[in-house]
Amino acid sequence: MTTGVAITGVGAVTARFTGGAATVSAFLAEPSPVHDAIADERLVALLGDGEARRLSRVCQLAVAAGRLALDDAELRAGDDVGLVLGTEFGDLRSTVEFADGYLAAGPPGLSALIFPNTVMNTMAAATTIATGAKALSLTLNAPTVAGELAIVRAAGAIASGRARAVLAGGVDQIDPFLGSMLADLGAGEERRGEGAVMLVLESASSARERGARILGEIMGTASGALAARPHGVGRSTQSSVVAEALAAASVELRHLGAVYDSTSGDRGRDHWEQRLLDTALGAGHERRSSLRRLIGAHAGAGALGVAAAAGAARRSGRPSLVHGIGRGGSQVAVIVGP
Amino acid sequence: MEPKEVLDDLRTIFVTRLRFEPHRVSDVTLDTPLPKGVDGSVGLDSLDFIELSLAIEDRFGLVMDDAQDLAPHFASFRTLCAFIAERATTA
Amino acid sequence: MTRVVVTGLGVVSPFGLGVKAYWEGVRSGTCAIRPVTLIETEGFRCRIAAEVPDPVPGSPRRSRADRLALAAAREAIDDAGLGVAERRRAALVVGAVGGGMLEAEGWYWPAKRGGAPLCPTPALRSILPYSHADVVGSRLGLGGPRETLVTACSSGAVSLAVAADLVADGVVRVAVAGGADALTRICFMGFNALRLLDPEPCRPFDRARRGMSIGEGAAFVVLEDAAHAHARGARAYAELAGSGMTTDAFHVTSPQPDGEGMARAMMAALARARVEPKAVGYVNAHGTATLQNDRIEARALRSVFGAGGVLVSSTKSMIGHTMAAAGSLEAVATILALVHETVPPTVNLTTADSEVAFDCVPSMAREAAVDCAISNSFGFGGQNVTLLFRRL
Repeated sequence: MTTGVAITGVGAVTARFTGGAATVSAFLAEPSPVHDAIADERLVALLGDGEARRLSRVCQLAVAAGRLALDDAELRAGDDVGLVLGTEFGDLRSTVEFADGYLAAGPPGLSALIFPNTVMNTMAAATTIATGAKALSLTLNAPTVAGELAIVRAAGAIASGRARAVLAGGVDQIDPFLGSMLADLGAGEERRGEGAVMLVLESASSARERGARILGEIMGTASGALAARPHGVGRSTQSSVVAEALAAASVELRHLGAVYDSTSGDRGRDHWEQRLLDTALGAGHERRSSLRRLIGAHAGAGALGVAAAAGAARRSGRPSLVHGIGRGGSQVAVIVGP
Repeated sequence: MEPKEVLDDLRTIFVTRLRFEPHRVSDVTLDTPLPKGVDGSVGLDSLDFIELSLAIEDRFGLVMDDAQDLAPHFASFRTLCAFIAERATTA
Repeated sequence: MTRVVVTGLGVVSPFGLGVKAYWEGVRSGTCAIRPVTLIETEGFRCRIAAEVPDPVPGSPRRSRADRLALAAAREAIDDAGLGVAERRRAALVVGAVGGGMLEAEGWYWPAKRGGAPLCPTPALRSILPYSHADVVGSRLGLGGPRETLVTACSSGAVSLAVAADLVADGVVRVAVAGGADALTRICFMGFNALRLLDPEPCRPFDRARRGMSIGEGAAFVVLEDAAHAHARGARAYAELAGSGMTTDAFHVTSPQPDGEGMARAMMAALARARVEPKAVGYVNAHGTATLQNDRIEARALRSVFGAGGVLVSSTKSMIGHTMAAAGSLEAVATILALVHETVPPTVNLTTADSEVAFDCVPSMAREAAVDCAISNSFGFGGQNVTLLFRRL
């Protein structure tokens, strides 16, 4: 859909770089692969005094990135600021810890403190409490494309008047076992990473009124689901999602600049995405980049793609495309302008 | 049980179950208040109190009655130690 | 302005398979909360829940929650009479929490207890919440936008609110939306640990209430652009006229004591539907029967509708708290209350809490022709959702 939504802030927490739009731009200008885990002490240092005690690690990631993004946008959250957070695995680590408490000691081993983390909205809950964002708050769960879908949902929420601004992005941590077991079960093998990346999306009118710095614009979005089994890769390359996003943005294909895709080293899925994009974009768009190959596969990478797309659009003056497709068939396209 | 022994056990619970830094817990005295919002307190909220109750039931073998207002016993380490010491000896 | 109508309903509930069995159970005030059979409950204070009775349809290779979701979504789509082409463009929005955790626990528990190494099991494929959407979407050929939303206990309601936005904003003409959850050990044990479960069937709004009962199930609806529904001659049950989604930003497990975030969700639903509070005749409450929720919800209702201004009842008194399914199961009860001009009761309610200044429709359903009704759902993390339905 057409949105009229501006990007006014970025917050990123990864093992290599942590900060706002300037930090992210500096990393993207001279990128180097980031596949390591984030050191716990570094994470705790990003939080307020005593705050880390009650937040699980993945919640700490989300809270830190959310605050960085709001600071970067110089925006204070309130009744009219929402949150849409994408995640693939959520806080599975806490779920395992909660179960282990019971399995070790029976009912007395259950922890009331850990239990809320077993529900995937725990990162969103922690982030809204920490930032005071009180409009809608959604957690979006999807394989691969949760971060991109969160941007689409947030832009939609602003367009339909649900919020003036929305913190939108993704968070994941390197999971103790599920990622590798799913790979063993044939759900694709890829290099995973961890981190949290959030953007502040804001209605263009709100951004103008308060004189906010505008990093880019979400010009158009589209999503859909192609035929595929759960965790499977489909065969079809017939999809109108990219065309719909371009149409919503009123951008002609020949004016499109940079393309960021979601390839990550999962061979079957990467191949499918390449063929989909070849079909949708035709000749002349063979040069595409993937941030997942750089920072590992996690929901934050989807949001980082949108930040990178805005930077590329600023530099070239041409709109960028962020594209993603997950196993199971969820496909998403976002057109980002300067 | 003596309140002093109870306090040592509570310190352990604060580290293992409530995830306090050990140095933060070694600083507390019997007069340190527990609930969040009280001056000089360790800052426990409703969820911390549930966790603390579970840990106390487990460690001291007593059963808390939810129908009863337990807040006065959870005001400070002193009131909590007295409450536990009394129950643990009569149990 | 696109109006959004409900053209299909599908349910699997503790009353069994289908919308008919559900409405019959809810209308007659039957309590489906019984001793737990699906998981071990040794050593817990509460040992009851509202389970979906056997047989749960679908292949045993799928997780119980995926099967519940698939059966309910299929009924809703058949009820709406959606053809292949309409399905291919339809959005699918699913509220989920537990995913396939029940089966994953069935694998993890014995391995961990026996100290055996953990080997991958096919059950893990459906462990994550998005599994329901991918199973339902691929089996039923839904090719539009696909989203899985997790907002704890309001997930089912949020799926309807977001799907309605997709239709109202013109992204799609048709959306399938709903929530599903199976009973899981984690959920049952966690609420036990939080001391939020009543050892007896839950008693919403009662002075002696002691907590909630857990349930399971699934409910899906088909939401459709009213003009599209009219053009294809579909029957519409009700209009989803507006919704509110707000966040307390207060505490991870406790609602804000003044109920401000809940009231804000109700006000937002009223505003978006352009409906005055006095046009609302019935509230299907979140009504969990915890000490905190019922009192704070009553306070929020009073601030929006005034004391005694509406009939209020809790479906959870009959089917327990069905987690991610709750918001959508209760939305279906609310829609059917409008259609049948019958407000379902709150059961197990003998003496109302004096702070609940409303007629909670104790024990027996009430005949009442109501123009508008709302369904409230509030989740951990202060996630408040109100859906407002209008009779057609």
